[in-house]
Amino acid sequence: MQLGTMAWRGLMRNKRRTAITAFSVAFGVLLSVTFTASGDYAYTNMINTSAVMGLGHLSVEHPEYQDTPTLDKRLLEAEAVQRKALQTPGVNAASVRIMGQAMFASGAKSVGGTFIAIDPSQETPTYNIFLRTLVEGQCVTAEEEHGVVVGVKMAEKLNLRLGKKLIFTLTDKNGELVSELGRVSGIFKTGDDAVDGALVLLPLTLVRKALGYEPKAASLVAIFLADHREAAAIKSKLVGLWAGRQDIGVLTWQQSQPDLAGLIAVDRLFNHLLQFLVGLVIAAGITNTLLMSVMERRREFGIMMALGMMPGQVVRLVLLESCWLALLGLALGVIITTPWFVYMARIGIDFSGQIGEDYSAGGVLVDPVMKFRLYRESALWIAGAVFSLTLVAGIFPAFKAGKTSPVENLKQG
Amino acid sequence: MNNTPLVQLENVSRIYQQGKVRVRAVTDFSLNVQAGEFSVLCGPSGSGKTTILNMIGALDAPSLGTVRLEGRDLAELGRSDLARLRRDRIGFVFQAYNLNPVLTACENAEFVLALQNIPKAQRRQRVMEVLAEVGMAELAQRRPDELSGGQQQRVAIARAIVSHPAIVLADEPTANVDSATADAILDLMARLNREQGITFLFSTHDQQVMDRARRLIHLRDGRLEHDEVRG
Repeated sequence: MQLGTMAWRGLMRNKRRTAITAFSVAFGVLLSVTFTASGDYAYTNMINTSAVMGLGHLSVEHPEYQDTPTLDKRLLEAEAVQRKALQTPGVNAASVRIMGQAMFASGAKSVGGTFIAIDPSQETPTYNIFLRTLVEGQCVTAEEEHGVVVGVKMAEKLNLRLGKKLIFTLTDKNGELVSELGRVSGIFKTGDDAVDGALVLLPLTLVRKALGYEPKAASLVAIFLADHREAAAIKSKLVGLWAGRQDIGVLTWQQSQPDLAGLIAVDRLFNHLLQFLVGLVIAAGITNTLLMSVMERRREFGIMMALGMMPGQVVRLVLLESCWLALLGLALGVIITTPWFVYMARIGIDFSGQIGEDYSAGGVLVDPVMKFRLYRESALWIAGAVFSLTLVAGIFPAFKAGKTSPVENLKQG
Repeated sequence: MNNTPLVQLENVSRIYQQGKVRVRAVTDFSLNVQAGEFSVLCGPSGSGKTTILNMIGALDAPSLGTVRLEGRDLAELGRSDLARLRRDRIGFVFQAYNLNPVLTACENAEFVLALQNIPKAQRRQRVMEVLAEVGMAELAQRRPDELSGGQQQRVAIARAIVSHPAIVLADEPTANVDSATADAILDLMARLNREQGITFLFSTHDQQVMDRARRLIHLRDGRLEHDEVRG
C-alpha cells in the first residue's frame, strides 16, 4: 500500500468536501488565467502596436541618439545593418528609417510634429501602423519622391487634402534649418488624436537629401521580432555582431520606450499582487478544509502511529492529500476555464463603449476589446503557483497531524 | 538461555494533569511478562489497564519508573525509534477494531509490512497466509464497512501478528462483539499463542477473556491487587 494511494482514498472518503475544495482551487485557476491571460494579451498588443508605431521591438541607432536625438547622430551604413539584422533568427522584418522633429506648414498655418522617413519599397502595413490605417490615398511610392502621408488630425489643422503641398522644415546634420516640399499622397487615422495630429511619413530619399546624409545613412533601423519576449536575447546576438563598433548601439523596446515599459511593469506587478491576494484567500479556505479533515481523523492517525507509522510519514500522507487536491483542482480548473478562455481568445469583451476607440496608455493605442492570450510560460507559472499554494496550504494541517502523540490521538472519538 | 523478561515494568507510576487536578492513573506498578504468555490485565474501569498497555506499547511514557521491552529501556528511545519499535516488535489489537476505512482487509493487514518496506510480492504472500490463519482469506478484498465486527477484529488480529511481533497487546478485544464471536476470536488468539508462541497481553474486564487467560493480573485504582498464575 503506497502513501499516494492512501492519500487519494482518504481524499475521496468525503467526496462532497473534496469537490468543494477542488472547485475553490479550480476557481483560483480561472481567476489566475483571467488576470494573466488578459495581461499577456494587453501587454503583447501594446508592445506590438508600439513597435509598429516607429521604433520596432529593437532599434539599432547611434549610441548617443537615445539621450540627445539630434539628426547629426546617424548610422552611416544603415542598409548593411538592416541586412545583418534580417539574417538573425527571430527577426521578422527590419526597416531603415529616419525619425525626428520638424515644422509642417501649409498655406498660412503651421504645426510642429514628428516625422518618420521611410523607404516605401521596404515598408508593409504589417510593420507600419500608419500604412495599415490609411483612410485616403496611398503610401508614398518610390516614383513619387515628394509624396507624404499625414494624420487625419494634421490634415484638418493644415487644411490638407490629397495632392496638396506640405512644406516641412527640419535641422540638417550640420544644425542648419532646411525646408523641403512634399505633396500629400495619403491620410491615416490611427484613432490616437495625438499621433494623428503630429506625425507625418516622409520619403527616405528626400529626407536624406534634405539632411545632407550619406546615401546609405539613416537615424535607425527598426527591427520587428516574431516574439517580443525575445528582445533581450536577440539584442545580445546583434550586439555580438557589432562588437567593437562605437557607432552602433542596440536598444530593446523597454529601453527605447521606458514609459511604456514602466507602465507595463507596474500593471503586471499589481496584476500579480491581486492574484497573490486571491490565492491567499483560496489557500486559507483549503487550509481550513484540510485542517478539519485532519482533526476528524486524529484517532485514525493515532492508530497508524501506534502501528509504527513515523510522524514524518503522517506529515507526508497529509501533504500527499494536498498534492492530489491540487492536481484535482488543476484538472477541474482546466475544464471550467477552457470554454471561458476560448471565448475570450476568439471574441473577447468590447469595452469601446466605456473607454472609446482611441484610448491610449504610455503613448500607445490600447485595444478596447479585452481578449485573452496565454503564453506557455504563463500557463506553467499558473499551474506551478496553484499547485505550490495548495501544497503550502496543507503544511500546517500536515504538521498538526504528525505532531500530536499517538496516545493523544487515540483518545479522540 | 536468555531469562530476560520480554516486558519489565519497575515501580511505574503515571500521573496525568487534567486541568488543575493531578490524576494518578497508575501507582508504583511492577510487572514482568515472559515470552509466550497469554496474560490478562483485569480490573474495573479506571483501574489503569489501558494506561499500562499504552506504556508497554511505547505509546505513552511513565511519569516515574522504568518500562523495558526485550531489555531495552523505552525512556532512552526517541520518537522515531519508538515508532520503529512499535512497527517491528509490537502488535496492537484495539477495542473498536480501528481498521483503516479506506483500505481493504488485505491492505489493512499489509499496512505494517508496507511500513517496513517489505517488497510487495513478499508481503502479499505473508498477508494471505495470515488472513488464511484467521479465516479471512476469502474476504481479503473487502473494505471494513463490508465486514462484520467479528470479521473486522480478525483482520485486526492478522494486522497485529503479520510482522512476527514480540508481543501482541490487545485492549478490550471482545468489548464490541457478541459472546459467540468473542469465543471465536479468543479461540483464534489462543491457537496462535499455542501454535506459534505469540505472546498476548490483554486488558479486559470481560469474564470470557479472563477465563481463557493463563495469568490474571488484577488491578485496582492503578495498583497491582493480585497476580494470579494458573496451571
